[in-house]
Amino acid sequence: MTEIVINDRTIDAQPGQTVLEAALANGIFVPTFCWHPKLSVAGNCRMCLVEVEGRGLDIACNMPVTKGMRVLTDSPEVKAHRKAMLQFITLNHPVDCGICDKAGECRLQDYHYAYNGEPSLSVEPKVRSTKYYNLSSRILLDNERCILCLRCTRFTHEVSKSMALGIEHRGDTSVIRPVADRPLGEDPYSDNIIDLCPVGALQSRQFLHKTRVWYLKPTPSVCPGCARGCTIQVWHRKAEWRVKALDPAQNNAIARVTPLENPAVNGPWICNKGRDLARLLERQRATEPMLRGAPTSLEGALERARELIGAARHPVALVSSWGSNEELEAFRRHLGAVFTSFVKCDAVAEPGERIEDQLLIRADKNPNTAAAEALFGRAEAQLPEGTDLVLVWGEGFDFARLPRGARVLFLNAYLQPENGHADVFLPITIHTERAGHFTNFQGVVSAFQPCFEPPRGAAHAEALFAALAAPARVHA
Amino acid sequence: MAGRQLLMTFPVTESSHRLAEYRARGGYAAIEKALRSMRPEDVTKQVTDAGLQGRGGASFPTGRKWQVVVPGDGQPHYLIANADEGEPGTFKDRWILENAPHLLIEGMLLTAYALDARHCFIYIRGEFDLPYRRIAGAVDEAYAAGLLGERILGSDFSCDLIVYRGAGAYVAGEASGLISSLEGKKGYPRNRPPRLTVKGLYQRPTVVNNVESLSNVTVIVRDGIDAFRAVGTAKSPGTRLFSVSGHISRPGVYEVELGYPWRKFLDEDCGGVLDGRALKAVVPGGISSKILTGADIEHLTLSHESLWEANSTLGSGGMIVVAEGTCMVRLLEIMLRFYHHESCGQCTPCRHGTGWMHRIVARIAAGEGRPEDIERLYYVAKYNDGTTICGLGDAAGYAATGILDKFRDEFEYCIEHKRSRYQGRLE
Repeated sequence: MTEIVINDRTIDAQPGQTVLEAALANGIFVPTFCWHPKLSVAGNCRMCLVEVEGRGLDIACNMPVTKGMRVLTDSPEVKAHRKAMLQFITLNHPVDCGICDKAGECRLQDYHYAYNGEPSLSVEPKVRSTKYYNLSSRILLDNERCILCLRCTRFTHEVSKSMALGIEHRGDTSVIRPVADRPLGEDPYSDNIIDLCPVGALQSRQFLHKTRVWYLKPTPSVCPGCARGCTIQVWHRKAEWRVKALDPAQNNAIARVTPLENPAVNGPWICNKGRDLARLLERQRATEPMLRGAPTSLEGALERARELIGAARHPVALVSSWGSNEELEAFRRHLGAVFTSFVKCDAVAEPGERIEDQLLIRADKNPNTAAAEALFGRAEAQLPEGTDLVLVWGEGFDFARLPRGARVLFLNAYLQPENGHADVFLPITIHTERAGHFTNFQGVVSAFQPCFEPPRGAAHAEALFAALAAPARVHA
Repeated sequence: MAGRQLLMTFPVTESSHRLAEYRARGGYAAIEKALRSMRPEDVTKQVTDAGLQGRGGASFPTGRKWQVVVPGDGQPHYLIANADEGEPGTFKDRWILENAPHLLIEGMLLTAYALDARHCFIYIRGEFDLPYRRIAGAVDEAYAAGLLGERILGSDFSCDLIVYRGAGAYVAGEASGLISSLEGKKGYPRNRPPRLTVKGLYQRPTVVNNVESLSNVTVIVRDGIDAFRAVGTAKSPGTRLFSVSGHISRPGVYEVELGYPWRKFLDEDCGGVLDGRALKAVVPGGISSKILTGADIEHLTLSHESLWEANSTLGSGGMIVVAEGTCMVRLLEIMLRFYHHESCGQCTPCRHGTGWMHRIVARIAAGEGRPEDIERLYYVAKYNDGTTICGLGDAAGYAATGILDKFRDEFEYCIEHKRSRYQGRLE
């Protein structure tokens, strides 16, 4: 332990820590733009200048703690310099917060109000630069807003290793630019630089001018894209900002997905697939129970399903690897004794998708294979001749594999042709409509919360399993 | 001749830069002596005791820089000669590179021996053409004569020397920016700590010395401490090369014994101010050192201590003479245009501050000054001082406040009357 004093408070710092790390670990806030705990120290924004007694001002992010040092983070000198740094940063930064997507979660905005609050001292024209520069099909760059903290270039060099970004030119005409033969579009982690950007320079094309962030609420969730199970925040419209006149679909749509920092699983990052959760989940939903394609009531469908289960001599169940821990447990409890159960691989990699890498992406594209296999084993699905009932839970099963004469009980969330071929079809909810847990490939259990109301007609699988075992009322 | 000389001791001819003539003048005797009879630490001690101060601009004691590097600590060490002479007004290293390249190479060998550096680099300014050809030719000559490469002069000491050309960035003359550039990266200076003598080139202990400093190492080892200290003053031993330009009758590179009277140097050695005009101001050592008026230098001598007393420095030895009748607003505008153009853009205060100051002064010079502009220039200079990664931001501020402190009335005149007191003339 290295004892240091920050603002008259004695602090036990770890040897090898910087003053900034020691301060933050002890609840003393020091503003930063370029510093990020998972990136190397760049020390270029100069926002974390602190005063060391006897040594003057220096940046806290690159200052190793030394025994007995006395640091001031709020002295008049430090405050004056912070103010000046903000004057410099805003010298050429456009004041276009009114049309900037970052407004409301922008560090520059926050710090300006916290530490400066004064209009610019400059009367000179601002340096003009490129607006809406295409970095990739996913990301736009506004060079006028860029404060050159180099978080994005460091991310591509140190974390995603695509080396896709660099700096061209110098001085106040420096610009972030893609490196010619290393396209950012091929970096499956590229969108993290949008979160990393402390200002509104890097913009998501999906999210561009769609909504203001203060209309949105982040709900903690888990990405179902692969067995990593990254914790995420699903951003959707706040209840009090539900729109009536505009497209009401917006009320139940995912506005964007951002990482929820989790040192045990994904750190502060997620991959682009996780950002595209809307494409994965917002497909047309099935909302009507059916008997061989004919719509029926939920009670009627459950009645018929119980008949089929009662009559079956060799029933087989294909259990979803997208089911939550709770749903899998409910299936085992209510139906595990009736069915011979196998774990089904619901999703496989799409063409062009990265299969697996060292950072986050796993080859298994299902979120809960670990929990499902713990309950139902790892055996390959067997559908021998004589199987007379197959319960299919979730997507990914090829109906051509069904044994001749077998009846089918199908639980699915999406509108698909197979729904009509099932003897009994039951529409179910998806994971953004319910609470639950996924267990990732390392055995780490992460919770997800409901973001939206389920569509009318879709029932929670957990309730359906109980009702399939014994008559019970199911809300849908 | 401005006092005794240590480097410019021979007549420059068509072939005086060649190895044969250098040897005839007693060249490579110092390295032979060192390899035969001195331990590496003896060389370091000799340079430390001789009191050699860096000739690049900061005047940091050369021996103290070397002492941080521990020979034989199991990791590679590097020595780099900083020949990226880019400070405006400075062209004195160019004289060594063109006319005495072997003096530098011998100094580098001695330094490499002292530092246990197997690989040395000369980072030469990209715009230097003849200096590059001369130093590259000299390196070839030295390799052919067995003075570079494996087992030099039959000893156990091996050393390779690589000449690397810069690509035209002032900031790459800053030691850590130079290292970034040498590594093939953008020439961004680095944050300290770690110091370059701890983690420099390729994250290894590295010493970056100026060309003139390294050339002086040859003189110190060859002639001994006493001979070196006999020249100059007690606090500033030796000589300095000055490149004199501006309004001066005989511009050029001069070797001046430290402690030599300044006024005498300008009037007698350099032939006085151009056309016999009065001396208005002198930039002592490159535009990053604070300007002094003609009256200021009247009783100053050319030594570090004398300049420090006058709140300036000898800097890089780039002396710019400014005659009476010169518009200081225009002069400052040109200086700030340079800093604005050369700021690498890495850290916030310099990236924006240099451009801000340049635009303010350009506006004043164009007759659109505002009363608050002078105060604003002081503000920008103040918050550039000590807040940047390297010294470029500070230097821009010093250039501005240096001129504003001494010639504030000219700026006020320009703001009030919307025109320069001197019709904006520099000549």
